[in-house]
Amino acid sequence: MGDEVKLAFDLLAFISVMVLIVLGLGIIASMMGIFNFAHGEFVLLGAYTVYLFESSGWSAWAGILAAPVVLAIVGLVLERLVIRRFYAAPIVAMLGTYAIGLMIRETIRALLGGQYKSINEPLSGAFTVFGLNFSVWRTVIVLTTILVIAGTWLFLSRTSTGLQVRGALENPNLARACGISTGKLYAATFAFGAALAGLAGALIVPLYQLSADIGTRFLVQAFLSVMLGGVGTFEGPVLGAAAVGGMAAGLPWIVIPVLADPLVFVIALAIVKFRPQGFITQGRI
Amino acid sequence: MTDKRFRDDLSRQGLGRRRLMGAGALGAAGWIAGGGGWLLAPKGAYAADAIKMGIATDITGAIAPSGNADWQVAQFTVEQINKGGGVLGRPIELYLEDTASDPKIAVGNVRKLIQERKVDVVLGGITSAMRQAIKDPIVNRGRTLYIYPQLYEGQECTKHLYCTGPTPAQQCDKLIPYLIKTVGKKRFAMPSANYVWPQLLNKYARKVIEANGGEVVFEEYYPLDQAEYSATIGKIRDGKVDCVFNTVIPPGLQPFFKQLYESGFQKRGGALACVYFDENLLNYLPAEEMDGLYSCLDYFQSVADPFSKQLQADYAKRFPDTKYLFTAGSAATGMYRGIKLYEVAVKATNGDLKREVVSAAYDKAKIDQGPGGGAEMVPAHMHCKMNMYIAQCKVDAGKPRYDIIGKSDMVDPKEC
Amino acid sequence: MLSEAESELAISSPSEKKRRGAAGRARRFRRVLPYIEVGALVVALVLPFVLGDRTDLVTLATNVLILSMLAISFDLCWGLAGIMSFGQALFFGVAGYAIALVGRDLDFSDIWGTLPLAMLVGLCLSGLFAAFLLLGRTTPSIIFVAFGTLTGSYAAERLVSGWQYVGAGNGLSSVKLLKLGAYEFVEGDTFYFLALGLLLLVYLAARYFKRSQLGLVLAGMRQNEERLAFLGYRVQLFKALLFSFAGLVAGLGGALYSYHQGFIGPGNMGPGLSTTAVIYCLLGGSGTLIGPVFGTATVEVLSYALSDIDAIRHIWPVVLGLVLLLVVMFQPRGIVGLFVSDRERIGSYGRRRSSS
Repeated sequence: MGDEVKLAFDLLAFISVMVLIVLGLGIIASMMGIFNFAHGEFVLLGAYTVYLFESSGWSAWAGILAAPVVLAIVGLVLERLVIRRFYAAPIVAMLGTYAIGLMIRETIRALLGGQYKSINEPLSGAFTVFGLNFSVWRTVIVLTTILVIAGTWLFLSRTSTGLQVRGALENPNLARACGISTGKLYAATFAFGAALAGLAGALIVPLYQLSADIGTRFLVQAFLSVMLGGVGTFEGPVLGAAAVGGMAAGLPWIVIPVLADPLVFVIALAIVKFRPQGFITQGRI
Repeated sequence: MTDKRFRDDLSRQGLGRRRLMGAGALGAAGWIAGGGGWLLAPKGAYAADAIKMGIATDITGAIAPSGNADWQVAQFTVEQINKGGGVLGRPIELYLEDTASDPKIAVGNVRKLIQERKVDVVLGGITSAMRQAIKDPIVNRGRTLYIYPQLYEGQECTKHLYCTGPTPAQQCDKLIPYLIKTVGKKRFAMPSANYVWPQLLNKYARKVIEANGGEVVFEEYYPLDQAEYSATIGKIRDGKVDCVFNTVIPPGLQPFFKQLYESGFQKRGGALACVYFDENLLNYLPAEEMDGLYSCLDYFQSVADPFSKQLQADYAKRFPDTKYLFTAGSAATGMYRGIKLYEVAVKATNGDLKREVVSAAYDKAKIDQGPGGGAEMVPAHMHCKMNMYIAQCKVDAGKPRYDIIGKSDMVDPKEC
Repeated sequence: MLSEAESELAISSPSEKKRRGAAGRARRFRRVLPYIEVGALVVALVLPFVLGDRTDLVTLATNVLILSMLAISFDLCWGLAGIMSFGQALFFGVAGYAIALVGRDLDFSDIWGTLPLAMLVGLCLSGLFAAFLLLGRTTPSIIFVAFGTLTGSYAAERLVSGWQYVGAGNGLSSVKLLKLGAYEFVEGDTFYFLALGLLLLVYLAARYFKRSQLGLVLAGMRQNEERLAFLGYRVQLFKALLFSFAGLVAGLGGALYSYHQGFIGPGNMGPGLSTTAVIYCLLGGSGTLIGPVFGTATVEVLSYALSDIDAIRHIWPVVLGLVLLLVVMFQPRGIVGLFVSDRERIGSYGRRRSSS
């Protein structure tokens, strides 16, 4: 029994990682119709921020707090300079963000000298409940994910800015006609999405290792999660991420791991093919 | 182009050989960014009939730390040879091409060594994937001698390709009986990265385990960048595994060791063995995750013989405060051995550099000293005998180190 | 359906249209592309003689020719059919693996057998992909198709890097040399001319596609897919056909690559190479067919020349990214677009009228 609880926890932790990564991507895709190929690099930048803080003698906590801020600024600047040219042109946006991602990734690869860096958890070790060991850091990730989801949900459903966002999402033209500045909203959304990616990167880097590919490792899975869950909703990508993360962690139980890995993609793609609208078609907030 | 001009400049300024020698090893071999890769060229009158040695290793990419260590050891060894007057009076010129941890890029870059630089011998390659990818452009299409310095899975019996790192037999024959008989572990798990080295190493290790009365509970392969191992940890627990014989490598290693440690495997008395772990890896993972880990290699820095100690001291002098150590796991010891054996071979041919001739001499080459002891090619078997050491990682006040717990002399590679 | 900005990338911008309208009437329409094409061919023909015994440069040039096939294959998808394929390397890589396996397991590498086999592999695989992604009751969104190709290529790369039979992460090395009777093609002049000849054939076939009535339908599709569908054209079927042909071209390229390099690995079928093909094509000028060849040559020659300069080697991919970004933002017509008018880039179809 205890082992099952422990494994369920591991599964939950991995799903949280996926959700954290996907959330920002999903929000940008839903709101702006842009699939941000640089999302993996935003995650990387978040991780790199922590590394910079840690290696220059600051606490990793400061890095984790700084990462979303740094990424929000990066996101805002990119949106103003580049991304806003790509609205309503999803393919151009893919190429453009891919190019941005490539630049960020390779710059950091050069800065890291192509190496892997280990970053220790700010809270290491495990705590024991009913004789079971739980990793402290994974618990932090799970809790943060829950907080972020709840916070975002409350923001969208309870605040007037949230209402504007939803309005702009439903019908941008009508929203503009009502005096909502969609341009500003889009900029803010992009910055917010980037900040979430930065937070994700900062939180997951102690579990893996800092390398230039830490973000791209999850990118395709994240895209599939968004498609799977349904673009244009808040819950969709979260559910999609849970499904994809669950499959990625769960399938190795059933089939050999090397086959499980590509199988996740095939299954997800097939579902999207036959249910192109995604799990959730109508936002429920 | 550039390098030649630079060299001419230097000789015009009268920087003769003696003077440069006095300037120390660093000065004796200047750094010159040439038209292709890096060139480490000894200056002076005799540069014309130098022996051209190509190094193809991973300066960038996932295994860059090992590749850079390799490159530094190659420089160090060649400088020692050149300082001692070269090989029969001829210096060795080193050419570096970055294989970038990516066979796709490597194939093109290695070709440069062969087609553009026309080197006499190529040393390098760390992963098996890399060796497989570059051996064809070097040995078959390029008709050049190739020396592969890393510990590896064995069964590489290509003509004119010599392996100077340990084979599965050398790594398992002593370690596994030790784990079973002395440490008392019986139920083995073999989590592995999915490529050829773990596959073949495990095949051999499994034989040794079963011959010694142990049992393999499961043998499983993961994508190299696997991020989530809860299924594996579950199997280790359910199977009552008491020894994990790990061949998962970075980048998948970090999450695996973390999850294994978090599951309390070591606390329950489980043993962890990993035969590629050297001193480099000690800085790579949190110390507590590695406490008690067994490794078996041809050299550890705690080996106490005077020659190895001196070698380390000289290396430290040449590369002060380097983060790329002279260790066994990253092919550095194999690199040293490979170059020294080549020196012996060229001396035996009286300076004839034709591949067939040098190759015939290399086949019988022997060095008396090296890191961890001497080495001796087993004629017609493409591999060499060397001393092997079993070591265990111990953590003292958060600082990990290896304690040598066993040594076997001149272990047979049992290959080809 | 492509949005306005995308048709700009694929064809031309609205502002351009206006300018063209004015300038086109004033100036006589002159064809430039044929001169560029012939010029490129002449250069390609004399190149090995100029290079002489620099085997490494001939090897590089051969590589450019082979990768050009991949770039043209992508151009067929994007420039002609309006399919954003992030997975063109998949067909390239799988075909490369196929011939490497045939060489290893059946000990067969005869040119008359293996190259058609590679084309067949590319054709069938891309046909299957087209059927899955493009055909069906509902018209797929362009984004779904883009992600479908990306996912396919990514999943295939990961599958192959874990599959022992095909060498897993090691890939397949020591690929048997391509043979014609008893003659073996090693890197060098003969391989170069073989690649050049095949590229020429591919190019002419692609050019025929572009200039035929089919090309006209495709051009219409890129502008307004719904209208074409309304007129009774089975738009998705046309796309699927072209996508399959593109797969065939990529397959041929993959086989040549495998023989030439003597190595094929999982990276040769992944999104990395696929997106490189996108860069080749967009940089050179999509929709022109010759553009991708220029793009490939530019990128590959520069990477080769710069890879030795340590300071630049590390930032070279960054430069590539920047170039792609600038092209996408400011010069969607690529290098060739600088010299060729939009009217010519989009092309004329069927037989040319005598008056023009």
